[in-house]
Amino acid sequence: MDDRIERLLDLLDQDTTETVGTSVRLPVHLRDAAAIAAELGLASSTTDLTAHGLRAALEAVAQRAVLDAHYLAHPDAQPDLAEIATATAQIDGHPLADRPELIRRAAAGIRAVRANPTPDDVLLYAAGLAEGAA
Amino acid sequence: MSNTRAVVLDNEPVQAILDTRHRKHRRALAIIEAVAARSQRRAGPARLLVPTTVRVEAGWNRRTPAAAVINRLRAEDIPLDTDLADRAAALRSTLGLSVADAHLGAVLASTAGPHTIVTSDVADVQRIVDHLATSTALLPF
Repeated sequence: MDDRIERLLDLLDQDTTETVGTSVRLPVHLRDAAAIAAELGLASSTTDLTAHGLRAALEAVAQRAVLDAHYLAHPDAQPDLAEIATATAQIDGHPLADRPELIRRAAAGIRAVRANPTPDDVLLYAAGLAEGAA
Repeated sequence: MSNTRAVVLDNEPVQAILDTRHRKHRRALAIIEAVAARSQRRAGPARLLVPTTVRVEAGWNRRTPAAAVINRLRAEDIPLDTDLADRAAALRSTLGLSVADAHLGAVLASTAGPHTIVTSDVADVQRIVDHLATSTALLPF
């Protein structure tokens, strides 16, 4: 794996309270929304919201990089879209969770109408197939 | 549909991620991918949690080279601290559970849910869920 990804992961794992002042340009509407959320007690501060969002985005990027590197080394380990959509349905308690074959058909069919479909796209398409068959 | 906020891994899913030759390695990664995909949707991200005693049972030692991949998947250790140890001891005494299962139950009772538990031990885990009456789904592995 790229050394920079390793460094990114190490930084995310650090347990530190040290902070640094930095200049970040935020869209005005997001800044104002964050201020209202803080006023309402729904969020502690714009700084916390920004840091939380940044961490979540970086963790998602890092996790993606780790998985992609693993699949490069072990191509057979990579689940296909149908398998991921089925797992998504099972985690979400989706009504089609126990119909993996329908989800597999949906994963195959959706590629004809949508580029880079997500697991949610597949489940929506599968619901359409189920509805059409009813 | 549930709005899972935390996915808890039990023993076999952890073993399956650790071992590329495990027959359910790919299935375990499909679940990891599904959890990862949640962070891209409005449903919101779900945490990936592993009770540390489950780690012990599954042989996940973060210091070994074999754990290099699973260490980086952003799964959170939930340690058996004083509070969780008390909760786990109560569960173990009431339900006659293994230490790892009792710890898993304590995690359900002490972390924000709803939870989904990925387990191949559905019967025992269902007993814990029923006893705790928490909003928890089981994902048979």
